[in-house]
Amino acid sequence: MFEFLFKYPLSIYRQGTFIFLAGWPLWLMGLGVLVAAGVLGFLIWRQGSGSSRMGVVRRASVWVLQTALAFLLLFLIWHPALSVSTLKPQQNIVAVVIDDSTSMTTDDENSTRKEAAEKVLNGGLLKALQEKFQVRLYRMSDHAERIDKLEQLTAGATATHIGESLKQVAADASSLPIGAMILLSDGSDNTGGVDLETLSEIRRQRIPVHTIGLGRETMSRDVEISNVDVSARALPESRLGATVSFHQHGYTGQKAKITLREGSKVVASQDVTLKAEGTEQVETVLFNAGDAGVKTLEASIDPFPNEENPRNNRVTRLVNVDPRKPKILYMEGEPRWEFKFLRRAVEDDHTLHLYSILRTAPNKIYRQEQEDGKQGLTNINELKDGFPTKVEDLFGFDGLVFGSVDAPYLTKNQQDMVKQFVDRRGGGVLFLGGKDSLSDGGWAKSAAADILPTTLPERKNTYSFAGADVELTPEGRDSLITRIEEDPNKNVERWKKLPYIRTFQDPGDPKLGAVVLANFVPREGGGAKRPLLVTMNYGRGRTAIFATGGSWRWQMLQPLADMSHEMFYRQLLRWVVSDTPRHITGSTPKSLLADESHVKLRAEVRDKTYLPAGDATVEAHITGEGIPPEVVNMTPEPLEQGVYGADWTAPKAGSYYVEVVAKRAAEELGTDTFTFRREDGIAENFHVEQNRELLQKLSAETGGSYYKPADAQKLGKDINYSQAGITVRETRDLWDMPAIFLLFLGIRAAEWLLRRRWGVI
Amino acid sequence: MRLRAVLLVALLGAFGAWGVLHAQKPFKEYPGFEYTNFEVPPDANVPHEWTRARLKYTQYGGGGFGRRGFGGGNRWTMDYPRSDRHLLPGIARLTRIDARSVEQVVELDNSDDIYNWPTLYGVEVGYWSLNDEEARQLREYLNRGGFLMVDDFHGNTEWEIFEEGIKKVFPDRDIVDLPDAHPIFHTLYDLDHRIQVPGEAALSNGVTYEQGNNGGRDPHWRGIYDNKGRVVVAICHNMDLGDAWEHADDAWYPAEMTGLAYRIAINYFVYDFTH
Repeated sequence: MFEFLFKYPLSIYRQGTFIFLAGWPLWLMGLGVLVAAGVLGFLIWRQGSGSSRMGVVRRASVWVLQTALAFLLLFLIWHPALSVSTLKPQQNIVAVVIDDSTSMTTDDENSTRKEAAEKVLNGGLLKALQEKFQVRLYRMSDHAERIDKLEQLTAGATATHIGESLKQVAADASSLPIGAMILLSDGSDNTGGVDLETLSEIRRQRIPVHTIGLGRETMSRDVEISNVDVSARALPESRLGATVSFHQHGYTGQKAKITLREGSKVVASQDVTLKAEGTEQVETVLFNAGDAGVKTLEASIDPFPNEENPRNNRVTRLVNVDPRKPKILYMEGEPRWEFKFLRRAVEDDHTLHLYSILRTAPNKIYRQEQEDGKQGLTNINELKDGFPTKVEDLFGFDGLVFGSVDAPYLTKNQQDMVKQFVDRRGGGVLFLGGKDSLSDGGWAKSAAADILPTTLPERKNTYSFAGADVELTPEGRDSLITRIEEDPNKNVERWKKLPYIRTFQDPGDPKLGAVVLANFVPREGGGAKRPLLVTMNYGRGRTAIFATGGSWRWQMLQPLADMSHEMFYRQLLRWVVSDTPRHITGSTPKSLLADESHVKLRAEVRDKTYLPAGDATVEAHITGEGIPPEVVNMTPEPLEQGVYGADWTAPKAGSYYVEVVAKRAAEELGTDTFTFRREDGIAENFHVEQNRELLQKLSAETGGSYYKPADAQKLGKDINYSQAGITVRETRDLWDMPAIFLLFLGIRAAEWLLRRRWGVI
Repeated sequence: MRLRAVLLVALLGAFGAWGVLHAQKPFKEYPGFEYTNFEVPPDANVPHEWTRARLKYTQYGGGGFGRRGFGGGNRWTMDYPRSDRHLLPGIARLTRIDARSVEQVVELDNSDDIYNWPTLYGVEVGYWSLNDEEARQLREYLNRGGFLMVDDFHGNTEWEIFEEGIKKVFPDRDIVDLPDAHPIFHTLYDLDHRIQVPGEAALSNGVTYEQGNNGGRDPHWRGIYDNKGRVVVAICHNMDLGDAWEHADDAWYPAEMTGLAYRIAINYFVYDFTH
């Protein structure tokens, strides 16, 4: 329709420059319009002044229409045209890039995508191109490769990297007169799209990329897992959540089963009801991390019998279950039941190493260590002076718990250390409610006030010895801290049935970025609902408030077999410490390389006091199945102090183990280990629908056009217009386009219809 | 409509009953064996972080006369409430325990009330008589995390009665002597050297024991461990700590014994908090 009305395709308008061929100055046209408007206005005013039927509004309407007509005539007299750059015949090269990945074997009911591409090219397009240009054929996988004929296409490549391939072809343009590119693809790119650098490189060379989209944009019957998000590191036996994102076509309302497997062992499964067509559905499946070691976890959705692509129903992730035992220091200001029952709740959690300091009398403390269910201090001098006074001693812990401890019990320096413990060390701190906690303990004015997840009330007497019921917030419903039942709905109900807490404390209002997981509602006095469990990330660490000293009733008021109190505190304390980093933290952005070999290694290095160590020597010792061990030197990242990086290529599929070793002169700062895995032949199983959005964006950004296969033959004509290669400028008349003729008729018809309606013809 | 009303009333009734069962009872003073009208301190109803409960048990033989029936069925109130009112403010003063000034009387009555008071003291348990249901509830209480300290029973006969009851609670657990090195004697005070703390009657006879001819001569510091090796029942046999607390303000009662009785209580309760 556009081409019918405006004579030329839209792409020509995009590329071309609008000009007037008459050569007269534009101000003259403006003057002409003004004169015409004046004369017409005078005549129409005079003509209508004697007629009662031609009021002011009607005369003005006629004047506007006639002036518009005068303008249109002047516009045509000035001879409008488009100046476009066109490729010189037989002097330019057109690069035809054909997707040769396995997704091109997808059967779109009538034919495969590879067959569709061949049909388009052999159906006249290739011939039309060859008549005017030299044509270079490329096959595209994770790179572009020149081919001589279409028969060389195999549709067997295991990856599609559109950006990388186009960049390669564009590089040829620096020595060859490439006038345009034609990309035949389903747009199923394994890298997530075309990066800005590639786009700007192509734009810089002014090469239009015309895209021909192959394949269906939606599958008829398919379930696809689009992502599985699971923590790359975990503590042994900890409860983890695998967040499985997926979408489906053709199975709305049907039941499906998500299964998590470690090898052949099913570690968790969950039945789900599939939501609306194409909707991204997110479900969290809980599982136990198990013993220490690297776990290869596969998330899958059982394929339906008639599913078109069952290969995209499973995704693999790595979880490194770290054998470390985080150390937690629990500082309690008074002997009380919450202290007793908290320690008992976590005593069977063999991953937590709990130290405690209890103020038994005004001048006495009672120190304990709890590990693997054993009590008693391993080192009799441990914490003998009470709460640590040195950074090195405090930072030896991964987490802190403050019970009913007033802030002034700590010196200003100790309070500041607590803040640095979170901010710099990256540790976690939990504040419990109590008669000497939070506001009542003077924490609002302490040096550690910033790290609290709430703004504490200014007043005192915020702690009440009165019962309160507990209810989860929507965030608490999804949190692993508060998950004491596997099923989220049952979990909410379970929390409603918990015995009331014996005491509560108003923690104030949550700060920006804080998350309220549970509220308490006083049972008496009609008190308002207030936050009970609030978490927040601060600096490199995290903090939480559990505003009660009376959750012990969950243990005493429920049958012995009930584990809700134990589970809650274990999960809460694990949250406090699970992400606490060590001196060295090694990582990679992607622990699973799907049909990729390049891996970026990263290490964050801190010294003994957890200050960034920018002067360290950092090495990555890489071992893998069937390859000799390799040592890679990591170099400082320019913009991040204490961060080191390296690029490495995994030579073949398999698991790789990396040990990062950091030294400062002869002093070893620490080590860390992490793993990654390269898997081949899986990337093309995903995103097999045509990514039309990507192809359209690519062509629009480069000055090309997107075509469906049925319209692709038009390319033979449209491709002439380009600013790349060897070109010549041409002008295209616009005065005779049908749109102007229709506009002319429209203006006249409008005036006639108005006059007829007014009875003044 | 009537059916709906009946259902609603029944539901409210059930909910109310559930609430009564699950809510903790307020403070209440009972007439005692020795004191029938003891003054209630003004802060009796002020809640605190910790309250020590006193066990109101069914007495062997149901009261009446004779050795086992002596006392009219309220042996559980021996020294009550004077000893409690002396001990508990002392604990608040000497430690950082936020202790209520008065005790809480609890029963093994199959309600949930006792679970609100995880620290329990039983006196003259040589007179208690636990039926199977009471024993089951005391076992559940202790297994959930409760702590029981028993005191003021003497000689073999009262021991056997106590043992009969506690064996109903823990048939498979041994009663053991607690060594001097046990943490329970070292939580706040080091109590390696302990003396027998006598009752008023023994002192008036010029001795520190009762039932000397029936195995009552030597004090025994015993306990029952749970599966984790923690003392959950602390047994003070052949001594009368209760009298030492009760007579803490009497000039004739030896200060050394009073002091030890306080220290034992404090150590035991701090042990409970820490284990």
